[in-house]
Order: sequence, then structure tokens, then C-alpha cells
Amino acid sequence: MDTNVAFIVAAYVIVWGALLAYLWSLRARGA
Amino acid sequence: MAKNPPSGASVLQPRFPGVPWVRIRGWLGILAAAAALLATWMALVWAPTDAVQGDVYRIMYVHVPSAWLAYLAFVVVFLASIGWLWSRRPIFDAIAVSSAEIGVLFTGLALVAGSIWAKPTWGVWWTWEPRLITTAVMFVMYIGYLLLRGLSTDFERRATRAAILGAVLVLDVPIVHLSVLWANSLHQLPTVLRAGGSPALDASMLLTLLVSVAAFTLIYAYLMAARVAIEVARRERLWTPT
Repeated sequence: MDTNVAFIVAAYVIVWGALLAYLWSLRARGA
Repeated sequence: MAKNPPSGASVLQPRFPGVPWVRIRGWLGILAAAAALLATWMALVWAPTDAVQGDVYRIMYVHVPSAWLAYLAFVVVFLASIGWLWSRRPIFDAIAVSSAEIGVLFTGLALVAGSIWAKPTWGVWWTWEPRLITTAVMFVMYIGYLLLRGLSTDFERRATRAAILGAVLVLDVPIVHLSVLWANSLHQLPTVLRAGGSPALDASMLLTLLVSVAAFTLIYAYLMAARVAIEVARRERLWTPT
């Protein structure tokens, strides 16, 4: 296991999480 | 009721009546989600481990597409701004504001993912070097673009001011991309979009990167379709005569 796995997980969670959150905000705005 | 409404709500209607936009958007969303799953699997499982950096280089597969989509989004802002200045069709202003908002999101994600990648490879979360500074400046400038739009309720004036700014700010896109060549930079030089040579990347890594870029492009297209639809609906509510 790569010792930097936490950095990889953090980057993917933040990027995909932010995109999903933005999509959710668009739905909340009526898209 | 806002002052100076555009010349009738009809200008905001889609120009292709009969095209099932909602269905097309639905399929685009499914395609984008499938591409995102494929890209994530390729990035985290299929692509080989880098000989120098180990697995942490896999952050590249979200960092680079985010940066490229920020470039694309701001070029779309530029084209839509020219479209508004040329034709005064409100749909161009809707496209410009939508693309600017999504571009700011992708720029922020490129900065955050880059910072997370920098810590284990450079030893710092942030350093004042050309690529990072120009990207941060681009991020702040387009936030300024979005804030400028809130200063006026006059549609024409707001759209024209924003379009002039949107047409000028795009100059920062090539500056960001070429900043690593113009000054001594800690950031990696262009690997794929580089002059005078083929991409300096292993074939399977390059394929994974291209699939990731394609997935992010589909996501951008889907988000744009949704965001423009909101803008059009909002303007029709504001300017439909009562």
C-alpha cells in the first residue's frame, strides 16, 4: 500500500464530491 | 420587474423546436456518469504505477482534466461574450455566465487537487511559482467577473460589461498554460499539449488521461445544459410581461 494513499483518496473525494454537490445545487435551483 | 428587458422572451427559446432537450440532457447525464466511472476505474486500478512518484501521481487524472476544463470553460465565456457583443442575443449571456460559474468550479478543483498532489511530491501545499500564481489569479479574476454581474440590474448594461470583461480575461488562459515555459517553474512542463513533440507519457497513462478528460468534458456539457436551462427559465420569469 502506497504511503500517500490518503492524499489520493482526499483528492478524489474532494473533486467528485464538489462536482456532485454542484450538480445537487443545480437541481435545487430547478434544473 | 427589471429595467430594459431583452426584446421579448422568444429570443430565449431554443431555436430547434421539436428537439427533446430534456431527453437529450438525460442521456448526456447517463453518458457522463458512465464515463466518470470508467475514468475513475482506469485511473485508480488500470493505469500502471509511476516509476518515480509511485501511486500518488494518480491525482493527475483529476487535476489535469479539471485544469483543462477550466481553460475550455473560459474560452466558451470568451466566445459567448463575443456572441453577445455581436448579436445581442440573450442566450449568449446565459451561456457566458453559466460557463464562468462552472469554470470557477473547475479552477478551484484544479488548485485543490494540485495542492494535495504538491504536498507529497514537493513537500509543500503551496508555493509562489508561476503556474500556481497565474492559476490563482485566473480563479480570482473570474470570481470578479461573477461579482461584477451582480452590480447592475439593467440587463443590457450588465451583459455588455460582463461580455467586455469575459472577452479580455481569456488572455490569462495562454498565460497560465505557457507560464511554465516563460519562467523558472517548480511545476511540471506541458506533457501532452507541448510544442515540437508527441506526448511525453506512457501510452496507458496517456489513454487514461484522455478518457478522464473526455469524462470531465461530458460532465461539463451536462452541467452547462442544466445551468443554462436555469438561467433561461429565470430570465423568462423576470421578463415575461404580466
